[in-house]
Amino acid sequence: MPDASFVFAQSLSGLTAAMFLFLIASGLSLIFGVLRVLNFAHGTFYMLGAYLAYQSMLWLGPGPGRFWLAALGAALGIALLGGVVERVLFRHLYGKEELYQLLFTYALGLILSDAAKIFWGTQQKSVSRPPELSGSFTLFGATIPQYNLFIIMLGPAIALAFWFVLQRTRAGRFIRAAALDRETLGALGVNVDRLYTGVFMLASFLGGLGGALISPMRATTPGMDTEVIVEAFVVVVIGGLGSLWGTFLGAVVYGQVLSFGILFFPRFSIFAVFALMAAVLIIRPWGLLGRPLR
Amino acid sequence: MLHVFTLFLAVVLALPLVAEAQKPIKVGMPMPLSGPPALFGEPASKGAQMFVEELNAKGGVLGRKVELLVRDSKADANEAVRVARELILKENVDFLVGTLTSAEGPAVSVVAKENKIVFIAPIPKTDQLTAPDKLHPYVFRVAATTTMEGRSAAEIVAKWPVTKVATISFDYAYGQDVTKAFIEHLKKIKPSVEIVDQQWPKLGEQDYNPFINAQMAKKPEAIFSSIWGGFFVTYSKQAKALGVFDAIKYNFIGVGEAATPETTKSMGADYPVGIWGNSYDAFYWGETAAHRDYTARLSKYLKDEYPSSWAVQGYIGMQFLTEAIKKANSADSDKVAKALLGLTVETPVGPLTIREKDHQANRGQLYGKTVKDPKYPFAIMKPVTYVDPSKFMD
Repeated sequence: MPDASFVFAQSLSGLTAAMFLFLIASGLSLIFGVLRVLNFAHGTFYMLGAYLAYQSMLWLGPGPGRFWLAALGAALGIALLGGVVERVLFRHLYGKEELYQLLFTYALGLILSDAAKIFWGTQQKSVSRPPELSGSFTLFGATIPQYNLFIIMLGPAIALAFWFVLQRTRAGRFIRAAALDRETLGALGVNVDRLYTGVFMLASFLGGLGGALISPMRATTPGMDTEVIVEAFVVVVIGGLGSLWGTFLGAVVYGQVLSFGILFFPRFSIFAVFALMAAVLIIRPWGLLGRPLR
Repeated sequence: MLHVFTLFLAVVLALPLVAEAQKPIKVGMPMPLSGPPALFGEPASKGAQMFVEELNAKGGVLGRKVELLVRDSKADANEAVRVARELILKENVDFLVGTLTSAEGPAVSVVAKENKIVFIAPIPKTDQLTAPDKLHPYVFRVAATTTMEGRSAAEIVAKWPVTKVATISFDYAYGQDVTKAFIEHLKKIKPSVEIVDQQWPKLGEQDYNPFINAQMAKKPEAIFSSIWGGFFVTYSKQAKALGVFDAIKYNFIGVGEAATPETTKSMGADYPVGIWGNSYDAFYWGETAAHRDYTARLSKYLKDEYPSSWAVQGYIGMQFLTEAIKKANSADSDKVAKALLGLTVETPVGPLTIREKDHQANRGQLYGKTVKDPKYPFAIMKPVTYVDPSKFMD
């Protein structure tokens, strides 16, 4: 039996991975929940977020506080990009067959990621951990990087903020209404087009933020978009497409299964995750906390 | 009038003859130019391109120019095969030089065998490419092999004051083979060594935290890694945050080119300075005049102050091909294949020889402990040593 400090360390790594995934998957889930489009280009927004953070760091130079500015700027940049993409392109997709939507968003992802290659080339880029959180500390015999702890706390904070906006604000009520019945909402005088753009921008913001925040932990390279979109997809399938807390739960389960999976199946931990997804799809096709589609 | 017509006719008829003599020698290069492996594929193709341009400026080989046709193999064996076939059938290439991954190399080797065309692999390391059952008269390799790389690392680790060694490698052909070669050779030259842990993340893993925790729980004194290229950036950032390098007192060796200038440059101050790593080339090596000259030309060609360490592999591949054409005095694949056997070429990294018995060049790599150098804004290997694998190639 592994000792307690190891189990603790392992669960924290699982949680860190989970909260990153939640950031990205929540945007994916939101777009699907409201716009009914499975946005495969979401992973590319995440990648572009990482590249923008890298670029902003080049402009700003190292120094205290710079990273947070860069990350926020990158996320806002991606939100803007998302707004343009929704207005110009996605608009024509609503209500179309799912296959077209899938092909379209997939193609969009490919185009955007090749565009990124023109700007940043194929060499890997790297962003340093922000100096404020570059240290680590020891708890119960486990080494915990401060940055990981920040991510672990950020995840629930974003989930709560999300929940608050959706449940307690006027905009949130409209968003929930739009998810249920777009036509009626429009008939009641709400500008649904603008609402959709706003939702899409918010989702893109989260994707871009995820990419920017992950850049100190990973190399920023072409191809990171396709890796993450598969993971995010697994998370929302496990948790339930369109469900906020489902996505949160899905991410936590995913992270822990991966983390502890390597103890039991050292070379097949990824298999455990996909087996879990398959089991969920068979027993509860709408996900752990999702609702069956109408 | 008739006069002019006759002259015209004569010229038209003679043209094909002239064209025949000056027809360029075509070389096809399937190489990953998209996705993460393009990190190495692109500069390798540029190195080959530079060689060809310099050669043609001097009149080419056997009085013929060389034309290099680079095609994106997408780091995929099927795509590499498709591209290689297309180059042979549609473009009528005379030779193939290329491929990067250990999946592409052996796949294209089969195409070369079918078409009886010389194929020189500049980067794939898998032993299988030139294993006795796969070897055929037309395949050659100027890259290091997993055996050579694993054993070189073992020679270094054997000198460290450690006995508990752990490994972390991707769970696929290259990772498994190089780790196996490392462990077998290390146990042979230092029997007191104990392998306390082995981690096998999937190829391209992004989150190493669980693997690192599990590995450190076994309290290793040294770690061998073959996490390569851009993946090493991700791995080492996460390992550094978890205090791995301090815990093992920097008794860490990263093969799979973990100490290339590209990697240390992209990580800057985040690089775990003090670890050991390897590289095919390093612009700061400058051991010989030939290397310094090559680096200066490459720097100008790529317009990069610190030029890529991968370009040299494309360069050497093309160098061997043209030297063999010269030696054979022919661009016929059968003759060139024979000329390649035992051929020694003065490359930018020194003289290399392709062995007759397995068509494998004694391509060693640069190894060294990484240190900070005030001359550069990133870590370099110092002292950097070229480990000649000739002693332990078998």
